[in-house]
Amino acid sequence: MSSVNQAKVNPEHKHKTPTVKLTIDGRVVAAKKGQTVLDCAGENGILIPHLCSHPVLPPFGACRLCLVEIEGMRGYPTSCSTPAEEGMVVRTGTEALKNLQRNILSLIILEHPGACLLCEKRQICDEFRPDAEKAGSATGCHSCGSRDSCEVRRLAENLGIKELPVAPVYLNRPIEKTHPFIDHDPNLCILCGRCVRICKHQHKTSVIDFTDRSSRTRIGRAFDCSLIEAGCTFCGSCVDVCPTGALAERYAKWQPAPDKSVKSTCTFCDWACELEFGIKQDKLICTKSANENIPVCALGKFALAEFLNGSGRLHSCYVRTDGILRETDWQEALAAVKDRLWNYRGDKFAFICDSTGTLEDRFIFRKFTRDVMQSPNYIELEGADQAFKRAAVPAGVKAAFISGGCIEADSLSKLEVLIIQDCYPSEASGRADVVLPVRVLAETEGTIKDRFGRHRPLLKACEPPKAAGSEWMIICRLAKTFGAEGFNYEFVADITKQLNPPPAPPEIQTGQTPGPAQDLKQMRTHFRGHRIDGHVGGLRELNAGPEPAPVSMPAQTKGTFEILDNRRLVPNTHEIVIRAPQVASKAQPGQFVIVMVDEKSERVPYTLCDWNIQTGTITIVVQEKGLSSRKLILCKPGSKLAHVIGPLGVPLEIKKYGTVALAAGCYGIAAIIPVARALKNAGNTVLAVTEARTGYLLYYGDRLRELSDEHVQAAIDGSLSPRGHAVDVIAGRLKSGEKIDCVIAIGCPFMMMLTARETKPYGVKTLAALNPIMLDGTGMCGACRLTVDGKMKFACVDGPFFDAHLIDWDELKDRRRAYSAEEIHSLAATAPAERSHTCARPINR
Amino acid sequence: MTALQQAFETAAQQWRQLEESKTPVFFVGAATCGRAAGAIEVIERLKNEIKKRNLQAQVIEVGCLGPCSMEPILIVHKNGAPRLCYGNVDPERISAILDRYVAGNDPCPQWALGRMTQGRIDGIGDIADHPMFRAQVRHILKRCGLIDPENVHHYLANSGYRGFLKALELGRDGTFDEVRKSGLRGRGGAGFPTWRKWQLCRQTASDIKYLICNADEGDPGAFMNRSLIESDPHSVLEGMLIAAFSIGAGEGYIYCRAEYPLALHRLETAICQMRRLGLLGSNIQGSGFSFELHIKKGAGAFVCGEETALIASIEGRRGMPRPRPPFPAVSGLWEKPTIIQNVETLANLAMILDNGAGWFVRYGSASSKGTKTFALAGKINRTGLIEVPLGISLKDVIYDIGGGVGAGKKLKGVQTGGPSGGCIPADKLDLPVDYESLTASGSMMGSGGMIALDDDTCMVDIAKYFLSFTQAESCGKCPPCRIGTRAMLEILEKIASGRGAADDMDKLGTMAQTVRDASLCGLGQTAPNPVLTTLRYFGAEYEQHIQKRQCPAFVCAALVSYHIDAERCSGCTACVKACPVEAILGERKKPHKIDQSKCIHCGVCLDTCPEAYAAIYRSSGSLTRYEQRKSGESKS
Repeated sequence: MSSVNQAKVNPEHKHKTPTVKLTIDGRVVAAKKGQTVLDCAGENGILIPHLCSHPVLPPFGACRLCLVEIEGMRGYPTSCSTPAEEGMVVRTGTEALKNLQRNILSLIILEHPGACLLCEKRQICDEFRPDAEKAGSATGCHSCGSRDSCEVRRLAENLGIKELPVAPVYLNRPIEKTHPFIDHDPNLCILCGRCVRICKHQHKTSVIDFTDRSSRTRIGRAFDCSLIEAGCTFCGSCVDVCPTGALAERYAKWQPAPDKSVKSTCTFCDWACELEFGIKQDKLICTKSANENIPVCALGKFALAEFLNGSGRLHSCYVRTDGILRETDWQEALAAVKDRLWNYRGDKFAFICDSTGTLEDRFIFRKFTRDVMQSPNYIELEGADQAFKRAAVPAGVKAAFISGGCIEADSLSKLEVLIIQDCYPSEASGRADVVLPVRVLAETEGTIKDRFGRHRPLLKACEPPKAAGSEWMIICRLAKTFGAEGFNYEFVADITKQLNPPPAPPEIQTGQTPGPAQDLKQMRTHFRGHRIDGHVGGLRELNAGPEPAPVSMPAQTKGTFEILDNRRLVPNTHEIVIRAPQVASKAQPGQFVIVMVDEKSERVPYTLCDWNIQTGTITIVVQEKGLSSRKLILCKPGSKLAHVIGPLGVPLEIKKYGTVALAAGCYGIAAIIPVARALKNAGNTVLAVTEARTGYLLYYGDRLRELSDEHVQAAIDGSLSPRGHAVDVIAGRLKSGEKIDCVIAIGCPFMMMLTARETKPYGVKTLAALNPIMLDGTGMCGACRLTVDGKMKFACVDGPFFDAHLIDWDELKDRRRAYSAEEIHSLAATAPAERSHTCARPINR
Repeated sequence: MTALQQAFETAAQQWRQLEESKTPVFFVGAATCGRAAGAIEVIERLKNEIKKRNLQAQVIEVGCLGPCSMEPILIVHKNGAPRLCYGNVDPERISAILDRYVAGNDPCPQWALGRMTQGRIDGIGDIADHPMFRAQVRHILKRCGLIDPENVHHYLANSGYRGFLKALELGRDGTFDEVRKSGLRGRGGAGFPTWRKWQLCRQTASDIKYLICNADEGDPGAFMNRSLIESDPHSVLEGMLIAAFSIGAGEGYIYCRAEYPLALHRLETAICQMRRLGLLGSNIQGSGFSFELHIKKGAGAFVCGEETALIASIEGRRGMPRPRPPFPAVSGLWEKPTIIQNVETLANLAMILDNGAGWFVRYGSASSKGTKTFALAGKINRTGLIEVPLGISLKDVIYDIGGGVGAGKKLKGVQTGGPSGGCIPADKLDLPVDYESLTASGSMMGSGGMIALDDDTCMVDIAKYFLSFTQAESCGKCPPCRIGTRAMLEILEKIASGRGAADDMDKLGTMAQTVRDASLCGLGQTAPNPVLTTLRYFGAEYEQHIQKRQCPAFVCAALVSYHIDAERCSGCTACVKACPVEAILGERKKPHKIDQSKCIHCGVCLDTCPEAYAAIYRSSGSLTRYEQRKSGESKS
């Protein structure tokens, strides 16, 4: 495509390439002719900051961070695009360069929500909040699913970005969540172009490209069509190379970041692509192509982790007793198998499997069929094409052992005994006598043969669910249960040795773009007789085709509580007005309601931010974090909520304290409205301090100025003055000797914990409003249990206000994470309509 | 005899006939600028009048002579008399000139700009003595406004294609030597020596090489290239032939913006004529040199004037620059060695070859040879397209050619180089106009925009204006340009709206340096120049905006308030009626008053208040400004 390709070294000629000598930072180093200064420096341990550069992509020179000084060259050339030349004298770390790099990165952060990078309390925050918050729109590192892999974040830390030249802006572009598998948040995009370039590099075409110009430049598709319409095959390479959270894998992004990677082979089909598995605590989090020059198909990239971690996986043995499949252990299950099959030895028995298993597994199946069951009926379905095949049982067969679910429905009724070993339940397993759970894909090891007849290794990358076993091992144990000899294999390698013909030494790389990565029609639809898309949401959407997804939820009309208004205040935060006359008539400052959007929704507590007895309405401010709040935010005016229960909780004691300082962040900014009003009416002097990561996240400034004696807006990134957290302002006042009689903090637990910590030395009474996970809100279930002053309290009936200095914050923090895995799963499993929304309203600045 | 030789003969004959015509010939300047001023109406009227009077006369559409402020321009050939040039002609004047001069004996000196040929006419001097032309040296523009740009014979009759034939004689290397000796530097802005670029390309082995003519003129206020192409297209095309011949290019592209329909039409016409005359195609004039030309219409993105973006655009890709090396001269269009030259650079080549490098170096300064065209504009008495020898002082251009600023106004500075250039203060007007001096001053030659600024110009506003242009035209690829220009603009807007902070100038300066030093291409690297130069030379004005919240030029709307002087106001209600937000209160015959809470600072009242009263005055911080009151007599 571009002549700049010349700067890249063709790997095949590496050994022939002459070398040149140059000096980098005073060191004489050797570079291959044509190698870039950046690559050469990197090879010699001299790290030059860069964002747009990527090892397999031709130089692009966009991010400008890899600037260096080269004697005899004007200005600051980019090291990613400058070929190393004989005698070149390069300097990389001069103060001038560092300053320039810091300035460039500061500019990038102006349009990349990075306020967290400038937060002085980042370290405490990281400890208190180890996982990113599952926010609808990322407005900082702490609400970004790619926080731990973000290269902007890493560079900012390395270069030491301390302040921004002007206030950052939120680009306010619609977040695309309707594509299969991929969430695209253009507000996080730094336009490094890696995604565009990897697509061109791997597919020789561009499904995505830069569109528009200047401040409006973004990555998009022609005519803003969907990725499916644009012809995307969902190889996901763009996601893999994205240095930020702009392109993220919906399933993986909220999972904890992998801490280990294992290379192995994908066995969804016989292209047998080499994959790199990202593992966290033996769980498969994500996958990608192990060869950055070659894409894999959507199954390899996106389906594997979701398929393996699916909640429907068979994780125990089941034996049918009294007509019902009952969970049992291996010993009993294998005994039951022997029991059922014993009388069917000979040609009344058939063993059925498909060819997706390892050579070792199939060797054992065959051997078991022949030696133990003494049957000629070993049936192996050829699965070379993606068409789904089911086996028919040969005439006379009355008992079958099936690995997988690939049997014709008609055959089932002819069988007297059916044993199934599989990863997911199927129609067949529902009628089986015994069901055994097996390991599949990345959970297995052995050898497979790809479509070109090459032997490929399969290495175990992650742990299976609970009891699931390797198929060869199950059958060997079963054979021993039958009393058979010759099944004493300890390791899979012992079987590999016996294969006939013996496998060639396995090749790990294929070096070939797999068909399904170029053409979706070639992609397998079934695995072991199961529809893969039955367990992978993104595949269902992909197979459903490019139907425009509705941008808002269909209005609920069944409920009682009508939504009268729903508007976005700032990114991620909505103000919702609900008709709830009875709640309004009884509400008092500090109280909350529990809202259920529909009959099946989670029950979520929301602090009452305002109410009006005359109109019978209440106002809540909702932050989009997770599925339940998203559902609520998607409700249009006119739709009706299933339940609004309240007012709940103990109201704040309104009396004359003297001077009350209110510290508020995120939803708390709205929650202090009734508190400020009541305290002011009771004759207090009210100081209302609100905080946000950055100026554009603050709201209700005018209202609070009106309701309080003094209103201060603090921005953590310094985009507003004062810089810092709300408590910094209050602690500053306390330090200077100002008299404050009571501090009330409403916001996220971290902010309230921080407030408690900072006010403690001054001995000022500090209250925090807690609303942890709740169910009934009436003190029955205990979900909202917390410890205050060593005593167990229920936030719903004892709270929400507690003495902040006495709260066990660590316990609170841990309890909040209790359902993290379920929350992540529910987010990934939602339909496009529930994921997407566009907020037409421009943000308040 | 070849078609070309034949055409030379025809041309000489045609031109002689024209010069010795017994019947009147009318030349109307009808380039885009002339048309905008009404040249088409003038031509129509002229033709109607000729028909009505049953006159034997010719009307010839010519290109642009240069003086914009005097358009439309008409040159009249009358047998036995020197040709006369008239300015600001309109249909009424046409009839008058026909009546009084063509049919009668009154040459109408009150409308004449000067004589175009030798001879004597009372009251009308030689056009060369006209102040607008006196200091000019017109080489590139020598045919502009005098020949029919769509008639190749006019070009041939005026030393056309002689340079190219000379080049064929000299051979590829000889041609290169001649260009090297001339010291010609690129006229597109940066001033890179043309021969150096060619050398790089000539040294690169490749069977295919390309030549591109960059006619993507995009600076606001610059129209040198358009004018030249519209007025004398063959001069550019001849230059292309010479360049292509010397570097060994077999194919050429003209990248011209689609907003220049007339220029495109004239190029297309000229290319057809070249083909007919055997000046394009294979084995041109039996020299063995083959060349083909294509026109690529640009969609008007400023960044496509940048070489690598321009190449991407021709290739059908997004017009986004890429880092260099490799330089286009080594790997350019379709990854082949490519030379890209500006329109004016190419137009110089024919002259250099025809007259020799020795002739060329007689003009210009030590390091900047030859002449350069400029689009003179702004707060100046005579605007237009001019050509001066490089090294001339800015003062000579502004005062001699441009006639200085308006009465009662003071020159504040000169902006050169368009959005990539900078503002040079009035006290530095001795600065010679050459590449080095302009760059050292913080500005740059650019493609040739030159805008005079007077004391009604706010320097913060000027910086804001140019920066908003480059900001909007940024391709968005690199963050310094995409985000840096936006952030700089934000600070400028803050200052202009009276919200400036003490450290804003420092921030602006630091950011400008970052954008300059770190941007990928010339657009970004030069985008901060308007800011940097105004900070450097007009820092005090920024400080006034920030510290005193005042705009001394009364331009920044947020810093200017409008008031009515009760003593001057006669209560005519003109402003009351004109105010779009009903902010002016007052009854007839009683002094009016402006409600400051409603006023949106649009200035309509100031424009409406009759000059006899001039009752509206402006204040900005501690400054106030009254408009000059004109007495009732002078009004009529």
